[in-house]
Amino acid sequence: MAKITTENYVAEAKKAIKNQVLQEALADLQHRFGRGTAECYRQLPEGPDLRLRAHDIRMKDIENLDVVLETLVANIRKNGGHVYFAEDGQAAVNYCLEVAHKHKVRRVVKGKSMVSEEIGLNDALVEAGIDVSETDLGEYIIQLAGETPSHIIAPAIHKTRSEIGSLFADKLDIPYDDDPSRLTWAARKALREKFLAADMGTSGCNIACAETGHITTLSNEGNIRMSTTMPRIHVAFMGMERVAARLEDHDILLRLLCRGAAAQNMATYVSYIGGPRSAGEVDGPQEFHLVVLDNGRSRILADEEFREMLCCIRCAACLNVCPVYAKIGGHSYGYAYSGPVGAVVTPLLVGINRAADLCQGETLCGACQDICPVNIDIPRMLLALRTKLAEGDSAWGVTPADRKEKLLFQAWSWMIRNRRLYDAAVKLAATGQRLFAQKDDMIGRLPPPVHGWTKGRDIKPLAAESFISRWKKSL
Amino acid sequence: MNTASQEEFIHKIKIALGKPLAESQRNVDFFKSDMSDETRGILERIKNRTPEERKKLLATLIEAAGPINLKVISCEDINSVTAAIADLVRDKDPEWGAKKSVVAWQHPLIENLNLPEALSPQDVTVFFTDVKETESGNLRQHVIDSYIGITAADFCMADSATMVMRTRPGQARSVSLVPSIHVAVIELNQIIADLKELYALLKWDPQESKEGLTNCMTFISGPSKTADIEATMVHGAHGPRQVHVYVITS
Repeated sequence: MAKITTENYVAEAKKAIKNQVLQEALADLQHRFGRGTAECYRQLPEGPDLRLRAHDIRMKDIENLDVVLETLVANIRKNGGHVYFAEDGQAAVNYCLEVAHKHKVRRVVKGKSMVSEEIGLNDALVEAGIDVSETDLGEYIIQLAGETPSHIIAPAIHKTRSEIGSLFADKLDIPYDDDPSRLTWAARKALREKFLAADMGTSGCNIACAETGHITTLSNEGNIRMSTTMPRIHVAFMGMERVAARLEDHDILLRLLCRGAAAQNMATYVSYIGGPRSAGEVDGPQEFHLVVLDNGRSRILADEEFREMLCCIRCAACLNVCPVYAKIGGHSYGYAYSGPVGAVVTPLLVGINRAADLCQGETLCGACQDICPVNIDIPRMLLALRTKLAEGDSAWGVTPADRKEKLLFQAWSWMIRNRRLYDAAVKLAATGQRLFAQKDDMIGRLPPPVHGWTKGRDIKPLAAESFISRWKKSL
Repeated sequence: MNTASQEEFIHKIKIALGKPLAESQRNVDFFKSDMSDETRGILERIKNRTPEERKKLLATLIEAAGPINLKVISCEDINSVTAAIADLVRDKDPEWGAKKSVVAWQHPLIENLNLPEALSPQDVTVFFTDVKETESGNLRQHVIDSYIGITAADFCMADSATMVMRTRPGQARSVSLVPSIHVAVIELNQIIADLKELYALLKWDPQESKEGLTNCMTFISGPSKTADIEATMVHGAHGPRQVHVYVITS
């Protein structure tokens, strides 16, 4: 299974902030990518409000997911494809291994897919003795370096050209070079061999079309087309929610996806794949398998508070505008999904307590919703997660993150409902605060149990006399 | 694979949605089979497009093609396309080997270019992805060895400069992918405005909908590219480094 390191969020974030290379790579991210996407939305003939229509389309798909999915798989089977429903990541991986085994697959080329990161497909294939190559340039760099992607669509965003130059010199046995064009062409050459020799290609699915029975894959590089055209077998993985009912819905969804992901009108390559090559066709895979993955999604679907999250089409626009992501990078989030989308999806998939810091690290500024091509209310769900952490929730198996804090707030709530007690407490605090170190008229450190509040910030001391009492005097 | 797991999977979704397990698919209105007035309007518009309107679409296409590094060249007739391709073959060198060969679709428009004859003075072989080649088992190698791949297209969407290709016998998908240079030849009346028109045609036009999307429909908008190293744009990541579209206007 994929490694989950969400518990290390705080420590990793601290490391990331001190990492000069990462900070330089992410500098001005919000202006570079975020602004481009926002401008693209403005130039849509329908304007940025098209996102609201996309939200309605996605919500309707999700609310009828049973019918939409059954239609999709019936049509794919009609086209000659195989479909497998995987309850969890392990089942999905096992199925892929079974297909690989049956066809004596020795070499696999992988088109970029977040679901495959989620289920840890790479490691499982390698363990089975299969040679696996990532083929998206960024993913390939990450694989050579033995790391994990730090951005959904720009996986190697945290690496500099000189790092990549040294990596290629070492792993591909070529002279050191740090020119992005020549490095890209070196990878092009190395990967061409892989594409042509592979027995199996894997891909994800951006957004399937139920009524025609096709998955779609998008890329600018052409690696996914290579992976799904040249090998004998194609295995595609999709989260069970990544399907739209009708072909015409793809008009709005595709346009917004390309703008959200890369501020472009259309990805260089979009493929609708419905099954294996048909009779008489000269190329394309002889077998096509689609793995539909639940892995915790039906639980999200069952909770109306979080159901909306399944509208997500994983474009990564929210990463590009998030002030938190732009500082701490993708690795801090400890799982395949980073940024605002990760801060909601990851806790729901791996456990809310286990990923407690993710939703608390976000700022609630709302930039993620404004840029979301399907207008998902991420801030609302971040708050909902925080509520669960504060109050506990048996349905999600959440224990309150901090019982002391809860007790404190209960005491506070009791006190503020008692006027006299409150006045007395404020007076006492106003006098008592002199005991604590003050600098520049601010309190820099509070005693336990409230010392956490001054860990990262100073707070203003209370006024000597409360507003209410001054008001009363002035009357 | 086994239907039991599908049934359980779908049941779980129904339970999550709070739907009765026995609910029939018929109750859902998305897959209804009558054409909307909007769609009827779109199909009419495509059918009745005047030559002037088509030229306008071509202009839109050329404008959209610029920023994505797609070269769109309009040609009076098929002979000038043949001449242009012969020039291209002369000017460009192979990326992977020394020998120049070209691979092309078995398609009426492409066959009418008479490329084998036009390229023979340059001693360049033209392979066609026809059934004979497939049966001989050499086709894959020809595609790999060729530095230019020549295809037609079903449609070209002007507003995003996107070619749309479906897969058919004789029209290998690898021809637009594996060679270093992709050349596509289309006729003016294959240009449509946008995705909306495409989907309307594929779903509602009697002829187009009969064929459907086929098992592999590909959109191509320009040459392969990447910006994965320090967000620097580089053309020619894995697919073709150059794409040339010749539009026959007569």
